[in-house]
Amino acid sequence: MGGADEETNLVQRSRKGDHAAFELLIAAHQRMIYSIAYRMSGSLADAEDLTQETFLRAYQQLDSYRGESKFTTWLGRIAVNLCLNWRAREGRRSGIHFRWAQDAITAPDERDAFPDELSRRVQAALQRLPAPQRAAIVLTLYENQSHAEAARALNCSEATISWRVFAARQKLKRWLKDPSHG
Amino acid sequence: MDNAGLDSILKKARIREPAADFWATLPHRVTGQLQSYRAPQNERAGRPGPSFFTRWAWALATAAGVVIALAAVHWNAPKNAPDVLASAKLIDETLAMFPHRVRAIVEDEHGLSLELSEHGNVPDSAPLYVRICDGAHCMSAVTFSGQQVQLAGQQWTVLADGRGGIILEGSQLLWSSAEPINADNHLKIEARNLGPATM
Repeated sequence: MGGADEETNLVQRSRKGDHAAFELLIAAHQRMIYSIAYRMSGSLADAEDLTQETFLRAYQQLDSYRGESKFTTWLGRIAVNLCLNWRAREGRRSGIHFRWAQDAITAPDERDAFPDELSRRVQAALQRLPAPQRAAIVLTLYENQSHAEAARALNCSEATISWRVFAARQKLKRWLKDPSHG
Repeated sequence: MDNAGLDSILKKARIREPAADFWATLPHRVTGQLQSYRAPQNERAGRPGPSFFTRWAWALATAAGVVIALAAVHWNAPKNAPDVLASAKLIDETLAMFPHRVRAIVEDEHGLSLELSEHGNVPDSAPLYVRICDGAHCMSAVTFSGQQVQLAGQQWTVLADGRGGIILEGSQLLWSSAEPINADNHLKIEARNLGPATM
């Protein structure tokens, strides 16, 4: 996609009901949103659903986008918060969230589906983090957001984000240092 | 492992990719579902959204409603409700901000006001609370022995009597907490010693 001006133009056209413009916005940002959704959910199927839901919600909330932050940041905020609510809802409904995560880590099919062993171990480690800490790592490390931007996305203080990132790093270092973990 | 080492590992990790046609079909699948969602305002049933004037009028009406509600609460508040000046925290903080300069903190229907000495010569003493009501209108003050305050249309000198009591010397009235008899029936006076000075 071209520069910020073109994106602004597409957002304005989408607000007026131009679906073709909104499809261009989706095409420009779908991989970024999918990446967030996958790292948060650890599930390919959930990530696909969450990606689609993110864009549906974004269309519904286009009027609230004021341009104070980048469009990608605004989209990422919707995605992360959907993922956090999704996780809570799925955990309550099934009651086997943790067991499923463990099974996914060790099941041969899931193991083979990862691009490589490092990727599998990293995703397994991310899944072990509490969701809010996982969200903080995804936004700051993978989406390159500042602590301030991540705090706005997650509706918490910058100090809380800093603490979550610190706590998450401590755990990830421990888990990823020892090859027997994950 | 340091942070840089961890970040390097984390960033090398790749995610599982969806099926190849996922990217190609997602945009159209999303827009295909948009009919069941609320459209952006300008698309809704072909009607234009509320104009700027209409939105401004609603905002103004809402603000006016809030002001009216607050005014109703203010005028209907019980006359013996604890007032702000009873707060030791307020007094302590004000004294800390203006050491030896606070002559009085006064509260009336307009809110709080501060009377300060220009020269920092207000001696340490226990804060004294005074409240005078002239009919429906009340004014309160926290002041110190020897200071003068304007309340209910009179200038009052406020004195501590050394036994924990308070004397108010007005231009037309002398009042003591030891014998709180109103010589002037239209005034209701209340006064008490708030304790040691916190300056």
